[in-house]
Amino acid sequence: MKKSRLKKVMSVLFILCMVFSLVACGSEKTPSDSGKSGETSKESKPASTDGKMTDVGTPRSETLIVDILSGRIANPDLFNPYVPGSVPMDAGVHQLLHGKLWEIDTVKGEQYPDLAATMPELVEGKENTYTFKMKENLKWSDGEVLDAHDVAFTFNMLMDSQELAFGAVVRETVKSCQALDDLTVEIVTHKPEPKLSQKFGVTIFGNGLTVVPEHVWKDENPATFTYSDPLSSGPYTIKDRDKQGYWFLYEKREDWKNTAVGQTVGEPGPQYVLFKSFGTEEKRIMAAISNEIDILQDITPESWEILRKKNPESMAWYAGFPYADMNDPCERGIAFNCADPIYGNANVRWALALATDIKNVSLATFDGMLRVSPLQLPPTDVLMDNYHKPMVDWLKEFELEDGYKPFDDSYATEIVKILKEKGVEGLPETEQDIIDVFGVGWWKYDVDQATKILNKEGFTKKDGTWYKPDGSVWEMSILAPADFEIQSMRLAFAVADSWNKFGVKVTVVQQDAATYWNNEATANFEAGSFWPACGIMPDSSINMEHWNSKYIVPVGEQAPGNRCRWGGEANEKVTELLNELMQLPSDDPRVIDGITEICKLFVEEQPFIPMFGTSKFVPVTTHYWTGFQTAENDFEGPWWWWSQFKYYTPHLKPTGN
Amino acid sequence: MKFLKFLSSRLLTYIFVILLGMTIVFFVPRFMPSDPVESMLGQMMSKSSTMDAAAIEAMRKTLNENFGLEGTLGEQYFGYMKRVIFTQDFGPSLTMYPVPVKELIADSLPWTVCLLGISTVISWLIGNGIGLLAGIRKDKAYSKILEGIAICIYPIPYYIFALTLIMLFAYIFPVFPLSANFDVSGFTWENLKTVIWNSVLPALSLILTGTGWWVISMTTLSRNTNEEDFVAFARMKGLNERKVISRYVLPNTILPQITMLALQMGTIFNGSLITEILFNYPGLGSLIYRGILQADYNLIMGTITTSIFAVATATLVIDLLYPFIDPRVRYN
Repeated sequence: MKKSRLKKVMSVLFILCMVFSLVACGSEKTPSDSGKSGETSKESKPASTDGKMTDVGTPRSETLIVDILSGRIANPDLFNPYVPGSVPMDAGVHQLLHGKLWEIDTVKGEQYPDLAATMPELVEGKENTYTFKMKENLKWSDGEVLDAHDVAFTFNMLMDSQELAFGAVVRETVKSCQALDDLTVEIVTHKPEPKLSQKFGVTIFGNGLTVVPEHVWKDENPATFTYSDPLSSGPYTIKDRDKQGYWFLYEKREDWKNTAVGQTVGEPGPQYVLFKSFGTEEKRIMAAISNEIDILQDITPESWEILRKKNPESMAWYAGFPYADMNDPCERGIAFNCADPIYGNANVRWALALATDIKNVSLATFDGMLRVSPLQLPPTDVLMDNYHKPMVDWLKEFELEDGYKPFDDSYATEIVKILKEKGVEGLPETEQDIIDVFGVGWWKYDVDQATKILNKEGFTKKDGTWYKPDGSVWEMSILAPADFEIQSMRLAFAVADSWNKFGVKVTVVQQDAATYWNNEATANFEAGSFWPACGIMPDSSINMEHWNSKYIVPVGEQAPGNRCRWGGEANEKVTELLNELMQLPSDDPRVIDGITEICKLFVEEQPFIPMFGTSKFVPVTTHYWTGFQTAENDFEGPWWWWSQFKYYTPHLKPTGN
Repeated sequence: MKFLKFLSSRLLTYIFVILLGMTIVFFVPRFMPSDPVESMLGQMMSKSSTMDAAAIEAMRKTLNENFGLEGTLGEQYFGYMKRVIFTQDFGPSLTMYPVPVKELIADSLPWTVCLLGISTVISWLIGNGIGLLAGIRKDKAYSKILEGIAICIYPIPYYIFALTLIMLFAYIFPVFPLSANFDVSGFTWENLKTVIWNSVLPALSLILTGTGWWVISMTTLSRNTNEEDFVAFARMKGLNERKVISRYVLPNTILPQITMLALQMGTIFNGSLITEILFNYPGLGSLIYRGILQADYNLIMGTITTSIFAVATATLVIDLLYPFIDPRVRYN
């Protein structure tokens, strides 16, 4: 009797197991029976070489699969780019759908016309009036002409709609905008705007201005229009999307020749581009190892090590160490709240810079795969050539108040030596290559000099602990991102370790994005692991403009710029220079000199101690696609989340797998 | 009469709990160190280079107006209570503006309820079945093995467990998809199959980890009950073992488990964040998480209020049903 009951229980358990197994086996994917969605699966598809299909029903050999940096998209039907909850631009939207007026060539550090045919030019005899031409034969993906009228409509719509947040930015700059003819746009500004193309074109990542089709938007309320079937001005259209927001499928336009990319570079390679969120980093790496993903967004060096070893077809920017691309346009370091009496003192900031063991910080942050920067501009190739390298002699001669020369140009060779000792292979050999990879140098790690400076400022050290001039223990907190912006997060801990060893009681306070940004903007911090130094073009004045003294507001208020509240004499000089630079066109020879002077003032004051450029681990797998940009094939940087992605697509070719 | 008195006191408590919960949910996010508008402005400014102070102020005003955050705290509070009570309208999501929070919850809720509801019930059934067996047959080898397995599974962190399942069944033996793909374009057999197939791993992980607790608690309960005098007396009376278990042991052990089940059914409205993240499962957990991270007041209020409502309702239902399940409990 007992045995029979046991048998029944066991049978129930067995049946349950079988149900799971059967469901699983019954659903095992075949080319025709994949976990498909939408119409794509119902249409006949050209056969791929091995017949493998993606889970959205497209041939794998014709589909480029790209990781979505923003993860799952909450509202996959909201494509209105001017309302807060719209599908994030980096889910393929600005990469493939939206052309921009002007794009950026990050290799040359120059803008070039995208939908526009020319750069904006000042009209002679007319005050603050600029014109530019649009490319001919551009079409929206529904076949309607895309021309100057669409651009003028977009500007006027933004200026007229009080509800649209970006409208405030346009109204602040633009007085009026009109189409003089089908191809000519005229913009009248409130004041001279020699850098108009930088305000409404791409310099970094993308731009808030998206040209919208007048024939679709003219009868809609722009503040409530969902634009769920967006028209494309780029080389792809949206073909399908996951209602849950995990993926977006784009298809090459048949009329790709009527797009800026088609006209200037050629036919895009992939027939389909699938932007998909794979979830956690572990899953993304598993997917990349299995070649289920072609382009990965930000991963950690540790994940890259696993991927590199497990998938020989994976590829990062450099074939060998340091693998990561180091040309990101923002650099990382520690910023100070200069409104604080302690951190408002430039000598204190200098003491902390000299108490930073930068080599250990580099090793602790990203295993030494970082390029140092002593300047207020990121160490990209373009900016290294224009500022870092030309300023080395000045940096070597630069003296602190007491005549001490803090610059150390041996960082690159020293870190290479350390890495060699650790068994790292494939390191650069020549002095020039070493500097190109690891930077021109940084500040000496000299705790004696740091002690000397602090003693002079009234700080005292007892039993290994620093005391402030008022006699209290010197405790400091560094604000850091929690589980986002990994490099800045790790950097905060590594720097805190260095300063703790020096005797300052430092704690790292990690915060979620909303709190972190709020505290940064309201100066509710002592020190923070931020990245307020960005730049991509030799004329980076527009990126430095936020240091202008006019943006300083009291602590507690949201600062429109200058979140470090850095004021004083040096900042007045910087402001003066910035005001001059903002009135100069980017190709004016005075621009480089002016920015060099600004960099010198920042070195003297260190309101933000720049440390490293950003190292991006954004690898690709080459099983299905080839032609990706690398250090050897550097037609562009690996900016998969930027709007310029569309210009990479013609370079990508199927491998035949 | 007694029942009416009992019912009215329970209903009053129920309404009070919900109103109190809604009030707390309204005020707590507003005391967070982050503000949705300032956070949005901060992020916008970190991506663009600079904006004039006047432009920032104009954007701030626009966003505050759009989000319904203008007016005093009191005005906002009474407006919110009125909207929620009379129209069940939580307003638009601030981070997914202008989508109504109600719509976001309605989209996510069926997924969460299906996955967590079914897996909770299955793990409850399996766990209590095994637990009962292990409790009343404590000396048998299979009881010890089953209990041992449950004790081993229970303390494993869910994250590790779920990742192990993914590693095993989506990567090493790629039976299930690494990244789930839920087709919701219509109710067809094909779509249903896809949904079930994609839900197997998340459900399995929830069932296996959930079962552990039910086994352990049921084993203890049934073991104790099995040793009670009235059970011994029943055996001495000569009742067969099936009757002893079904009439004496099971009714006395299952009551606390039913209470726990009801409470768990209420908490499924919180979603299961880790499951959703790991398995790309669309549910309420990630909505709540997103709301908290981005200081989306309306989304936080909408999702948490739904959860409060669900837990309070589950408790009320159990309160009202208990006398039917356990005759010892009366309406007094």
